[in-house]
Amino acid sequence: MSSTTNHNSDLAGAAAASNAIATRKLHPLVDLKLDRSWFEELQSRMAKNGPWDDWTLYQLSMEAEQAKKIDSFEHLQCLRTLPALEPMPHQISTARKVLHEMGGRAILADEVGLGKTIEAGLVLKEYLVRGLVRRALILVPASLVLQWVRELNQKFGIAAVAQKKEHTWHYDVVVASIDTAKRDPHRELVLGTDYDLIIIDEAHKLKNKKTTNYQFVVQLRKKYCLLLTATPIQNDLDELFNLITLLKPGQLGGQSEFAANFVVDKRLPKNEDQLQDALSSIMIRNRRGDGGISFTKRIVRNIPLVLSTEEQALYDAVTGFVRERYDESGGDLTSMLSLVTLQREVCSSRDAVFVTLVNLFKKTAEDSPMRPKIWELVEFIRKIESNTKAQKTLELVQQMNEKVIIFTEYRATQEYLLQFFRNNNMVAVPYRGGMNRGKKDWMMDLFRGRAQVLIATEAGGEGINLQFCHHMINFDLPWNPMRVEQRIGRVHRLGQTEDVHIYNLCTVGTIEEHIVNLLHEKINLFELVIGELDHILERFEKGEGSLEQQLARVLLQSGGSNADLSKQINELGSSIVKLRNETADPSAILTQMTALGQKVEVEIRP
Amino acid sequence: MNEKQVHKFVHRYLEATDCAILEKSPAHFTVKLSPAADRELTNRPYYWGFVDRTGTPPETMTFLFVTDKQKYESLAAAPALTPEEAAANAALGRSIGFVPGNLTNGTRTPREDLYFGSRKLEQLFTAAKTYGSYVNLFQEPEKRANTPFQSTPYTAWLGVNMRVEFACDMKREEIHSYGVSLATGSIVEQFHDQLQALRLTPRLPANVHVAKNGLSLSKALSVVEQALERKLKNYDYSWAAAASERLQEELDRIDGYYEPLIKHATEETKPAIEEQYNQRRQETRWQFEPRVTASAINCGIFHLEGID
Repeated sequence: MSSTTNHNSDLAGAAAASNAIATRKLHPLVDLKLDRSWFEELQSRMAKNGPWDDWTLYQLSMEAEQAKKIDSFEHLQCLRTLPALEPMPHQISTARKVLHEMGGRAILADEVGLGKTIEAGLVLKEYLVRGLVRRALILVPASLVLQWVRELNQKFGIAAVAQKKEHTWHYDVVVASIDTAKRDPHRELVLGTDYDLIIIDEAHKLKNKKTTNYQFVVQLRKKYCLLLTATPIQNDLDELFNLITLLKPGQLGGQSEFAANFVVDKRLPKNEDQLQDALSSIMIRNRRGDGGISFTKRIVRNIPLVLSTEEQALYDAVTGFVRERYDESGGDLTSMLSLVTLQREVCSSRDAVFVTLVNLFKKTAEDSPMRPKIWELVEFIRKIESNTKAQKTLELVQQMNEKVIIFTEYRATQEYLLQFFRNNNMVAVPYRGGMNRGKKDWMMDLFRGRAQVLIATEAGGEGINLQFCHHMINFDLPWNPMRVEQRIGRVHRLGQTEDVHIYNLCTVGTIEEHIVNLLHEKINLFELVIGELDHILERFEKGEGSLEQQLARVLLQSGGSNADLSKQINELGSSIVKLRNETADPSAILTQMTALGQKVEVEIRP
Repeated sequence: MNEKQVHKFVHRYLEATDCAILEKSPAHFTVKLSPAADRELTNRPYYWGFVDRTGTPPETMTFLFVTDKQKYESLAAAPALTPEEAAANAALGRSIGFVPGNLTNGTRTPREDLYFGSRKLEQLFTAAKTYGSYVNLFQEPEKRANTPFQSTPYTAWLGVNMRVEFACDMKREEIHSYGVSLATGSIVEQFHDQLQALRLTPRLPANVHVAKNGLSLSKALSVVEQALERKLKNYDYSWAAAASERLQEELDRIDGYYEPLIKHATEETKPAIEEQYNQRRQETRWQFEPRVTASAINCGIFHLEGID
């Protein structure tokens, strides 16, 4: 009987106890490894006459193992351990495909909002349950780390840990940002580990193989690997090639073969059938509209409001004030951008302007000629007695008589509205970014339970999922369209069963009117396919500053002429629309790509 | 494991570890853990370190273990609250300072839902394994011997429960239970089932003598291993053939990608590309290579009546 040491490439295996492993040939292709560490321990206990364990626990231990035994290669085991999770059919079949047909290396390229995270979680859980994965690394943008940790813990019962300190890397399932992981001292630890599974979220950020992030990911050692992205191609077919090379180098041939075989122009594929073949074994793309996946409608209503005389007076005064400052500065934009905020705030609530004015007052020198001017504005504020928008909001809320979420950009407005609703005998709860997790959850509980109204200043990430609510009021609009999209995404998502009603409050004759016009009429934001927007914006904002900045500039430069302002904003709108039509090109590839990625058969549940 | 099985499992664990069950129903246990169970289940290494070093009498934790959530909640919530209302009440309670009733023992009892897949049950599994791995047991005699001078012969058996894993990029498992008589070297399968029908005790019963071992423990080990090997050799390995085929395909693909790269690489870049190439090949073997491993779940020496 020969006991050979374990030279096998089972990198993660228990090679530590290599002396206790005997190898036998079972079949020309398969060795049997006999782990004898138990026998050594038994002998040592016999030599010492104990300690001996309990018979009941012995039986229980066996019973537990029998319960956990994995009977078949195929059957999905993880679902029976997750009684609280109800994945959609397309998510289950995606997980199955990854596990059984793709050997655990795949690009999950579902359109935004179809639950790539759930699919990845299912795959991870299944591997954990089967004991095929112990160490897993999940690389995500920094802003999503906590959300991933929470989802894995709560939805999947996976003890995932957010990477914070150096020693965190030793946990079995770690979620980290790629930017942290690639830096010292983490880099060495991460590259020195054999990961059973690596998941990379927002993988389209790895499209360029020259970046340090891409180089870093190439060096990671991994058994299974999932790349998650809604947009495997943004501009260029090469991006897809680079992603696939991370998973399966050579799947599309070498770089030059790929170019020769599959690319006409960087955005136009050829030999699509072959490309489809090559892709179908590595990429899954579910799209809304595929069987079983459907979203409800978005019904958008703009509500034009006329400011009261006092409010209009304040708006005009503030506008005059801003213009004066701009003229004084001799056309210097950078310092002025914050002043534009004042104008936007007037459209929201007097409280919001007031807070900003007070801060401005504190910042100016005591003898500055600005100070009396600021006081003048405060006088205008004093005269305002009611808030037109708040009145209208109350009316809307009472009419719909269902749960509604109200978004505002400003803390002061939020406070005001809370007060306002309280005075009108309605329960409204606040939600804002600065709250800690516990408080956020508590507010969600309250809103789900007894409050009709939630007033939120923040919509970003952080898992506020409000499928139980299908009314949303934009009390004021952010100038950043992505944030508008995030707001809508809280309510209009998978699992929402009702059509979603969106109300935009819009004060006539103010900058707000222009913005609503731009976002709604011009770029048709509210009806865009989710996920389309960020790519359009990315291109639009190249070198020109963010849309917000461009809007502020236009506003300041228009010099008070309403017609001029209109024209300029229209131009901004047109260039976005133009980009959108151009961007339609790569999405056109993606449309064909649907056919390219694996079509998932979706059984519709009764 | 369904709810009933979980319930029974938990019950047996609590009794085996001398925990004090304060209250129970078919859907739950309220239990004050024994020190032994507390060490395994409460994740308080610092506390136990403190107790061990200072000799302070330990204060163990009390838990509400719910083994059937649905049943428990339908029993517990007489005036039925929807989960939303309950959540809202709890949230309001926190803010207003209203403390909900059910303050029987002055402290809040942490609740754990135990279902197959839950972390607490997994912890119970692990705890059972930690103190249920190696046993040395004697069969209790069927009936008292007639005279104190009559002695029943016993045979020592090596019993082992093996888990066999068949893995490539996928995996399945089997459990095999073997017993080898140390007197005769004969081997039986499903030994564990056989044991479960007997009453076993850690103490040597009176009027019993254990027959002399005919073979060494090491010999018994090889009897087990050979039996297992014989069994496994007759299995169908088409899954392994398929996995090997996938592996070969993958390796060929990687070769096809890297070989031209290496050929055209400059002297400076070559080592890095070669390293990457080898790494990819290694990963792929790791991913697909078919393998079968056998390891013990637990094992022991069992002294059973008769000479076999």
